[in-house]
Amino acid sequence: MKKLLALLLALVMCCGLLAGCGSMTQGTGGPADSETADTGSTEPVTYELSETPVTLSISWWGGDSRHTAYQEAIAAFVEATPSVEEVTVDFGAWSGWEDKMSTYFASGTAADVCQVNWNWLTSYSSNGQTFMDLNDLSEFLDLTQFDENALAQCTVAGALQCVPAAMTGRIFYWNSETFEKVGVEIPTSYEELIAAGQAFAEFEDGSYYPTALGEYDRMILMVYYLESIYGKDWVVDGALNYSEEEIIEGLEFIQTLEDNHVTPTIQQILGDGAESLDKNPKWMDGRYAGIFEWDSSASKFHGALNNPDAFVVGDELGTGGFTKVALGLAITKTCEHPAEAALLIDYLLNGEGAAIMGSQLGIPLSKSGLEAAGDAVDALTAEANSKVLASCTNSLDPKFEDSALKASDGVYYDVMAGLSYGDYSVEEAAGILIDGIEGVL
Amino acid sequence: MKNSVPQVQGRSAARKWLDNNLGLLYILPWIIGFLVFKAYPFGLSLFYSFTDMNLFNGISEYGLMNYIEIFNTAKITKALIVTAKYSFITVPLKLAFALFIAYILNFNIKFVNAFRTAYYVPSILGGSVAIAVLWKALFRDEGMVNTLLSYFGVTGPSWLSDPDYALFIICFLRVWQFGSAMVLFLAALKGVPADVYEAATIDGAGKWKQFFSITVPMITPVIFYNLVTQICQAFQEFNGPYIITNGGPRGSTTLVSLLVYQYAFKQQEMGMASAIAWVMFIICAVLTIVAFTSQKKWVYYSDER
Repeated sequence: MKKLLALLLALVMCCGLLAGCGSMTQGTGGPADSETADTGSTEPVTYELSETPVTLSISWWGGDSRHTAYQEAIAAFVEATPSVEEVTVDFGAWSGWEDKMSTYFASGTAADVCQVNWNWLTSYSSNGQTFMDLNDLSEFLDLTQFDENALAQCTVAGALQCVPAAMTGRIFYWNSETFEKVGVEIPTSYEELIAAGQAFAEFEDGSYYPTALGEYDRMILMVYYLESIYGKDWVVDGALNYSEEEIIEGLEFIQTLEDNHVTPTIQQILGDGAESLDKNPKWMDGRYAGIFEWDSSASKFHGALNNPDAFVVGDELGTGGFTKVALGLAITKTCEHPAEAALLIDYLLNGEGAAIMGSQLGIPLSKSGLEAAGDAVDALTAEANSKVLASCTNSLDPKFEDSALKASDGVYYDVMAGLSYGDYSVEEAAGILIDGIEGVL
Repeated sequence: MKNSVPQVQGRSAARKWLDNNLGLLYILPWIIGFLVFKAYPFGLSLFYSFTDMNLFNGISEYGLMNYIEIFNTAKITKALIVTAKYSFITVPLKLAFALFIAYILNFNIKFVNAFRTAYYVPSILGGSVAIAVLWKALFRDEGMVNTLLSYFGVTGPSWLSDPDYALFIICFLRVWQFGSAMVLFLAALKGVPADVYEAATIDGAGKWKQFFSITVPMITPVIFYNLVTQICQAFQEFNGPYIITNGGPRGSTTLVSLLVYQYAFKQQEMGMASAIAWVMFIICAVLTIVAFTSQKKWVYYSDER
């Protein structure tokens, strides 16, 4: 009997393996089941401000400077808005943030106002089940300040599910000091980039590289490269717009970069043990002399350099590439005070709050927000954004960023790391990439 | 006065019930917690494992498809193999190391309590995020380990990014947390009667002979207990591979627990995540049952004939 009891107890210990998997308290349909999932309704919805002061909540991810800006802007909002007595905040770094937020969205426990990535609209609210239609709140949130095309990109299932804060695209940033040391001009074309790689290989012990490209950076650069050659969007009408031969050409280009010492291998970058490239000592001290990053990240990478004066915003290396909505602010359907939440968004993006936020969310897309931000806009971010918008004319399908593709265990990482580690040939990698993308589309 | 008899009888019945069930009342909070936080999710995950439950799309299909897919998906079968490797490396190493240190600390040496504390500390810290971050810093290409090796003219490998080494770094972190097993071994060693050793010494048995013929058999119940608990814990390891390598490079440290997390919270596929967890549970339960069945052959209980 004692042994039987002991065996049972041991099995109970094993239950810990499973306890995390079934803790869903939501109905089997998730938020779609909730009474608020009523996007099919054609009745106009009206909202009013509460008669008594209310408490709101907001969540965002970002770095320290963004956290500070948000908190200052929110404090100013509470002071300026009598109908809101408090705004509770939840913020953190990007790492692991999407996992946390997706669980909140599914369980209906997310904050009233959420900073959202563009693809979250299709990933977590494809039927309009998670975020409110902000068109219904235009009385409190001035939508006329935003470009209609940008608003259209945030309209999913017939509902404007978030207000876009900024448009963004990728661009190269360089460390001019390292390029001077190596004796090479900063590249302005893909050919010059490859030539720079060869010069870096011969410099000292070969530990310097013109740039460092992680898995997702490689995927985006490949699309930019192909779009600069073929001039067509990556995905059109829900279908991949590039043939297998064209994708093989793109993957061969990526492999050429590694072969020509333009970028370290994925193994080398992982071996650096850094959470991200801006925290990588080799970027800080100039051994990695370039990065291919979002224009909104300029200040982050600039601030990480040991010699920030050497930071240079590069030119796009080809006339192609996409821009996309950087991020937006959305109101969840579980919000009990949508009118006040809309006022908060309006304050942060269109009103006086935009002056405090500056370019923390990217270069403001809102006309009044951009005007209010004035000198608070970071000059480097503005320079990067203007170069991106001038050169990158292709559009992006939000499924490009689907977690099945983009996550660290997703298809992009598998293909690019597999290619770099030598596990896949370019033909195999192209096949896996196409299958993965078509599976998501 | 007439009513007093039934009242007394009523009181005594209530008292009797209370006497019989007082223990149950004491453990009621635990029972409620167990039912709500363990048994209910346990049952629900079994149900989900037979569905295509997605956090955002709900359920549209029922059947064995998840279980069939598990054994036809290279990523999952690889994770099962990696987890098996991890467990078969860490469990014996950790037990051997814990027993070795406990044996040394059982002698009357100076500052023994300080040593015991020092060796136990990693068990408290080992599973923490901070230690995992420290581990990552130690074993990166330009970390302390490779820097030390370079002093001896040795070029250290890429511990974290070479698929041939990364799993061993994760295993090493686990083995380093031998303190809790060590404390149990230490208690068991203290319980071995001194007169048995005296008799063995008089009979001419050396230290090694005494260790393998007296010490080890006498502490087999604790070895058995440690074995079962360490197997269960090894199969549930998450922090190390998540923080240090995030399952990489090339899936070489993707343990099943990490895969369950990825399916559940990155892909929102709760059905598949539950099915993988159940496969893991069954493997773990089978190993536990095998251990229990085998104990008749190698575990010595002093109160048994």
